[in-house]
Parts: sequence; structure tokens; C-alpha cells
Amino acid sequence: MTPTHFTISSAFLLGLMGLAFHRTHLLSALLCLEAMMLALFIALSLWSLQLDATGYSTAPMLMLAFSACEASAGLALLVATARTHGTDHLQNLNLLQC
Amino acid sequence: MNPFVLSILLLSLGLGTTLTFASSHWLLAWMGLEISTLAIIPLMAQHHHPRAVEATTKYFITQAAAAALILFASTTNAWITGQWDINFNLHAFPASLLTMALALKMGLAPVHFWLPEVLQGLDLTTGLILSTWQKLAPFILMCQIMPVNSSLITFLGIASTLVGGWGGLNQTQLRKILAYSSIAHLGWMVLVMQFNQQLALLALVIYIPMTFSTFMIFKTNSSTTMNTLAASWAKTPALTAITPLVLLSLGGLPPLSGFMPKWMILQELTKQDIPLTASVAALSALFSLYFYLRISYAMTLTISPNNLNATTPWRLQTTSSTLPLAISTTISAMLLPLAPATLALLSP
Repeated sequence: MTPTHFTISSAFLLGLMGLAFHRTHLLSALLCLEAMMLALFIALSLWSLQLDATGYSTAPMLMLAFSACEASAGLALLVATARTHGTDHLQNLNLLQC
Repeated sequence: MNPFVLSILLLSLGLGTTLTFASSHWLLAWMGLEISTLAIIPLMAQHHHPRAVEATTKYFITQAAAAALILFASTTNAWITGQWDINFNLHAFPASLLTMALALKMGLAPVHFWLPEVLQGLDLTTGLILSTWQKLAPFILMCQIMPVNSSLITFLGIASTLVGGWGGLNQTQLRKILAYSSIAHLGWMVLVMQFNQQLALLALVIYIPMTFSTFMIFKTNSSTTMNTLAASWAKTPALTAITPLVLLSLGGLPPLSGFMPKWMILQELTKQDIPLTASVAALSALFSLYFYLRISYAMTLTISPNNLNATTPWRLQTTSSTLPLAISTTISAMLLPLAPATLALLSP
């Protein structure tokens, strides 16, 4: 495992840990998701740079476009949750348990 | 919802799954998964109800995390081996990571907690799409990576069958019961997937019409709890008589078509010389059978008290089309004699 690969992997896993264990606000969950996607963006761009694979240089842009769509859907859901539940605390999303 | 918007959403739902089916490149497969996730989110949140919005949020977070994990695993694989092909043999670590991510996407046992809650918040039509069509893409991806860590796959399968049986035992909410039944069925499919993918596909192909007819029956009765099913004898007597067949077919009783996949999976597991796994899976099917029997009892074998005026709504003409329900009930009750033909249809 190269140092670059190690750095990218730990950035991604840090985002994942944040998403899994820090469950206070919905906004921080969305930020963790975004951090994961950005780590993946850097991983994809460095992969195509390192292997001189010019055919893959569009892949990071495509991935970034999709992650932007995902982030906007997440923000829309943040607004919807704030309107229906009155807060963005993940603790208040408890209507469906039984 | 505006019909143009609805048609675009449904077409993107189809496009996403088709893209995942057709792709041999991990990035394209990931794009297909993302498209189908993003397309179903407006369908889930279309009723501005707190429960629907909450279910959508939970679904979005789990699916986005699972999709990111899939892309991370395939990028790691590309960094190690230099390959993006799905059919190319994966490195061991990304393969385990991918298996867990796909399990999270489908709702297999140690990572299944989102599925009952999400299904509980949706209406029955969207729930039907979620528990049939949305399972296809991750299922096919899992089939394609298949010769991976055998003990992990066996653990996922056994845990899913047990949890799927156990979780549904004390439920009175039909959608939660259906979610647990979906977990249990996926456990059976995953259990046999590493030995014989044709059988896993057969189990999926039988599972889809059974789930379709169950959801449509509940939708016809417009019931989401077991209590309201008790009044269905006055609304649709014929359907009330047929429902136990469909439910016991989901449970896997012999003359019905749900028995076929369970039979063949148990035979395959015995042939692979793992009788302990086979017996645990077979015994865990009893839990599921218990709650299907309880629904059948509440719906068919009892007549709940009713006033005289409310006993004749079956005379009224229904406006909804009953043809899809008729076809799927027939398939889910009587496919067992066609077992060799069905298996031959799915052989590569």
C-alpha cells in the first residue's frame, strides 16, 4: 500500500466512521457523506494520473457530478425533515420504530 | 404527482437497474445504483407526511453510504490490481468490503436495521417497488463477484434467515412483517449463491411474484395492520380464500411454488456437504411460517364481528384492474410442477 493510497483510504474511512458513530445532526451526516465522496474523487483522479490512463480522466468528473446530485437530494431531505419534524436531530427520527 | 415527472422517475428507475445489469465496469455499475436510488427518493417522499419523509431520509443515508462504500472498494481494487472489470477476480479485501456494502444495500442481516423502518413509512406501491425492483441491481452485482470469502457469505445467509424469522414474530404491522420476510428470503438466496447462482436466481424469480401478490392483496384490502385484514371477508371473499395459499407459498409449504427454491437450495447445501447450515436454515424457516400462519388465521380462519350493512361491499364493482393480481397469485401458487422448466429457463 503506497502512502497516497493509505492517506486516501484513511480519509474515506474517517468519513465513514463519522457517519456511523456521530449521530447528532442530519447535517453532519451529510457532511460526512460529502467527505467520503471527495476522498473518492481524489482517489479516482490520482489513479488516472498515476497510471497515465487518459481515458479515465473523465471518470472523476462523472463521479463528482453524481455526488453533487446526491448532496442536493440530501439537502432537500434536510429541508423536508426540518419541515415535518421541526429539527434536524437524528434522535427525533423515531416515528417508525416499534 | 405530475404524470410527466412520474414517468421520468419511473424511467430512470428502470434505467438505473438496466445500467447496472449491462455494465462490466464498476464505475458504470455504481452510476446505475445511484440513478435508481435518486429516482425512487421523490416517489417515497411524495406524500408530505412525517413518516414518509423520515423513511426517505433513512433510506437515503443508508443507500448513499452503501454506494460510496461500493465505489471505495472498487477504487481500492483498481489501486491494487489495476482493473475495473466486474468479472475480473477481485482482491480479497475489496471483495469482502463489496460484499458488506451490497448486503447493506439489499438489507441482509447484520446490516438490515433500516429495511423494516423504511418499509413501514411507505405506501404499499412504493414498498412493492422497494422490496422487489430495488433488490435486483445489488443482487446481480453480488452474483457477479461471487467466488469470495465463503465464511462471510455463509454468515450473512444464516444470520438473515434467523433474523428474518425472529424479527417478524411479534409484529402486527404487515409492512414490517413483509420486510422481515424479505430479509429471510434474501438470506436463502445468498446462502446458495456461492455454490449455484442459477438456484439463487430461481429463488429471486419465485420471490418476486409472491411478494407482488402479497403487496397487491394488502393494497386491495387497503390494510396495513393485521386487524384490518379481519374485515376482508366482506370486501373480497375470493381473495380472502386465496391469500393463505400465497402466504404459505411465501412460507414454503410443499404443493405451492414457494417450496421449489427452498427444496432445491436444501438439496444443493446437502450436496455440498454442509448439513449443519442446511438444518439451521430449514429450521429458521419455521419462524417465518409461524407469522405467515398467523396472518392467514387472522384473515381467513376467523370471522370478525360486523354489522349487517357492512357485510355486502363485495357486491360493488371494483374500479382497479385485477389482472396483474390474478396472474401473480396463479404463479405464486401453482408453479411447482413447472420446476424443471423454470430451472432450464434460468440455466446459462
